[in-house]
Amino acid sequence: MTTELRPYVSPPARVGARTRDSGNTPSPTPNDAASTLARGHSGRRYKILMTTEGTYPYAVGGVSSWCDVLIGGLDKIDWNVLPLIAGGKRMRPTWSLPSNARLLRPVELWSEERPPRRLSRRPAVEEMALPSQLLRGLMPWEGDLDQLRVALVSCRVRPQSIRREFRSRESWEGFLRELEELLAESHRQSAPAPIYDAIEAARLYQVLYWVARTAAVPTPPCDLLHVTAAGWAAIPAIVHKALHGTPMLLTEHGVYVREAYLESVRGSAAAAGGGHMSPRVALGLTRAAYAAADVIAPVTEANAEWERGLGVDPAKIRVIPNGIMPPGVPTEPPNAHKVVAVGRIDPLKDVLTMMLVADEVRRRMPQARFECWGPVTPGQEAYGQGCRRMHAELGLGEHFRFMGNTSDPHGAIRGGDVVLMTSISEAMPMALLEAMGQARPVVATSVGGVPGVVKGCGLIAPPGDVHGLASAVTTLLGNPGLARALGRRGHERLHRRYTLTRCLESYEDVMIGLIEGAQA
Amino acid sequence: MSGHDENHPSSIGSRIPTDDGRALQRAHRDPYAQSVLDARLGRPARDVLEATVVLEAWTGRPAQDAMRSASDLVTLDGPPVNALSRVDPFADSERTSVISEGVTLVLLIVSIAAWAAPISRELGGDVLGHAIRVALPIAVAIQWGLRSRYLGRPHGLACLARDGLAFWALLLVAIDVPLLFQSGWGPVAAMLIPIWVGGAVLTRRGWGLIYAGVLVVGTIALSNGLQPYAVLGALTAVTLAMCIAAVHSRRERTDARAGSAARAVMAALIGGLLGVLLVADPTLSWGVHGTHPALALIPSVIGSYWGGYYLWNFYDAVPRGLRGVSLKRAGGIGFSDPAMAIFVGALARLIGATAVLSAVVIALSDRFGGTDEVSVFIAFGCVGTVSMLIGLLESFALQWAALLAAAAALATELACVSLSLTHAPGGALAAGATVGVLVTLPVLLVRLARSGRVLATTMWIQ
Repeated sequence: MTTELRPYVSPPARVGARTRDSGNTPSPTPNDAASTLARGHSGRRYKILMTTEGTYPYAVGGVSSWCDVLIGGLDKIDWNVLPLIAGGKRMRPTWSLPSNARLLRPVELWSEERPPRRLSRRPAVEEMALPSQLLRGLMPWEGDLDQLRVALVSCRVRPQSIRREFRSRESWEGFLRELEELLAESHRQSAPAPIYDAIEAARLYQVLYWVARTAAVPTPPCDLLHVTAAGWAAIPAIVHKALHGTPMLLTEHGVYVREAYLESVRGSAAAAGGGHMSPRVALGLTRAAYAAADVIAPVTEANAEWERGLGVDPAKIRVIPNGIMPPGVPTEPPNAHKVVAVGRIDPLKDVLTMMLVADEVRRRMPQARFECWGPVTPGQEAYGQGCRRMHAELGLGEHFRFMGNTSDPHGAIRGGDVVLMTSISEAMPMALLEAMGQARPVVATSVGGVPGVVKGCGLIAPPGDVHGLASAVTTLLGNPGLARALGRRGHERLHRRYTLTRCLESYEDVMIGLIEGAQA
Repeated sequence: MSGHDENHPSSIGSRIPTDDGRALQRAHRDPYAQSVLDARLGRPARDVLEATVVLEAWTGRPAQDAMRSASDLVTLDGPPVNALSRVDPFADSERTSVISEGVTLVLLIVSIAAWAAPISRELGGDVLGHAIRVALPIAVAIQWGLRSRYLGRPHGLACLARDGLAFWALLLVAIDVPLLFQSGWGPVAAMLIPIWVGGAVLTRRGWGLIYAGVLVVGTIALSNGLQPYAVLGALTAVTLAMCIAAVHSRRERTDARAGSAARAVMAALIGGLLGVLLVADPTLSWGVHGTHPALALIPSVIGSYWGGYYLWNFYDAVPRGLRGVSLKRAGGIGFSDPAMAIFVGALARLIGATAVLSAVVIALSDRFGGTDEVSVFIAFGCVGTVSMLIGLLESFALQWAALLAAAAALATELACVSLSLTHAPGGALAAGATVGVLVTLPVLLVRLARSGRVLATTMWIQ
């Protein structure tokens, strides 16, 4: 079987250039691929280190579900999961890991934990202190990635010196000088940087300290590094790769830097300098992750556009769409004029617009009912309360109901006639695939990879276009025949393009290619 | 970045206008895109990515189109925006009124001071003196450990209720049981420890006045000739019961973490050394001089409490004072900056209150039978000062410096005692505490003179 698979195995530089659909060799089944993964060259099981940031296995959401499916689906691989989570809070995993995965001690950012102590020689006197090196690597529009890599590796090698360096007067003063110079630099893609004050500088200094601390976290030996977001989760992998040459796969559900910018835009009224710092750090981390990755696998072509726009070599990119296990024969819609939304209560999902759509739809069609399934995202409780207030102000009552979390999204979708999604940012939402699996037509906003998925099986409107979205919903509720036809097309499209088997095969293909390419 | 292709059709860089092209840039601006940007940001876009994100998210344009429009919408020249940081106020919902805590503290000392005479009368002066010498360092150590891990933190009581109560109860049992087997002083010490430690928990809970009331009742019982073991036993039981009730009534759903265990152990060690410092001077015969000898403690305890309370302002005032301070000044020395101002303010409150109240207690000593030895008040004042300074070092995560200072203070005191360098009551204690102050002050002053540094390198990086 290994021989059969060889045509799929290519050195890292070539993996991205090849797509499964363009190959002439028939695709292996998941079991075939798994058998190969089970053996590897030396007959041992391959080990993959997966790094996550604020998602698996501590949070619910699309990325976490996907991680769980991937690990469970590729069960011949031994997975080590290294999660990065916010410190200062007691966190319990919300997912129980499959038997082929081991949860490593999470990296707790902004916690009181001290860096590990390791005996090593004292560092030679560096030209630039660690905070300044990290600053130079991360904050400029195009940072010095080599310097950043060297600085991150030094954190791993001498973890005990991080705290001492960051608490020293010399480092702080050197950092301030460097920051001042850096902010004065101009770049042709950026307006002049805002003037930072001492608070903002101290905040940035603290962020860099935690970057260093994250770099210092030891990583176990592995055959492949799998980074699930191009931000903080990439840091341990970048260091590991620099030290051991292990190949690195970066999978992107959203585009990390894009989401960081979006977050800062939403908070820009309150945060002043912070609106500059956070996305800049995210940009630095993203560029570092892109540079270190051997293959970047976004879930949609829309994300690939961003990656190319950020300077990634197109040959590195391989789009692997999400997939779900297609449910059996879909049920008929209930014809209850019910619209269902499945997703977290989160500003990115633009639940406020969803309620305005509901308000407009009920004016045209009083019998229409909306059900919004999903929990409030942790940290977005204020937004959740704002949604409740708006619900009361609009007097939506039973026309729009917050249903809370569900463990059965398929069931929730089955209960509706139309599935609605009003997000202002998406990559390739699982809720859409689930709707297609249940043969329900979709009304969605034209963000990220959504238009590409919904093509021919739903209606699209620009984000925030209440009138457009409401018209689309009304059209489908008022034309059950059209709704059923679009739903059926979605179901067929899902079977053709977005099955779990196909998705897992693609990841196996990339992983085997990277591992064996590195071992060859 | 490797692989960056300026000529790639989707590369952001390929569409950025050059300096010469800025006039053209404005001419090419898409008015609709500009209005969306203005509406969403309320300010000019900071860079091409920000403008792209806004256009993509709020107009639904595909990334490539959004990038193309965005590059025309970013103003590349013009003065930088002077942005003020946001500083969230520091709030600790569990912290109750300073007056209430202060009154509790005074009542606690007065009550315990009032026990000295009846207990000494019933059990002998040596028994009480020995019991205090053992119980005080242990109680102070546990209080410091508790404060580091739980009581000094927002949601600390909830954390204690959730995951710490059993441990601390076991610790008390582990300490108390061996003491109970010591004849004479052992049981007294075993009962004093939970009474004192419980006071810290109850004060934090806001039940300090009730606790003080219980102590007053115990004092009245002792004064009326009731058996000391029985009274202390009852007080211990009531205090522990109140502690359990206090902590459990704070049992709430919290995912806040308790402080680090290693740090709590270190804090307990530091507290223990300070406790030993307090009792190691044999010229201070605890509980056997006069009717109310511990009254001499009141001035310094109130002074250090007031000073320490004022130091809490660090968390609020230092960030607020640095708001809008330029990067050039952020690294400089500023003796009038908030960090130094608060430190000096705290020190002034401590010294001022201790001096004034000491004078009052000395003046009233004849009426209450307390000590009127000035050297004892000076010694306690020095202890109050060194405790506050060491506490500040510990809160800055400079535990080794704090430990060193406490150890230096104790070593000096013990040297003075063994070499008989001083004969004034409390002289060795004053000498030790003064050395402790001298060790801690430079470490603190170097940091506090630079508010920016103390925030960035000490308060925010622990």
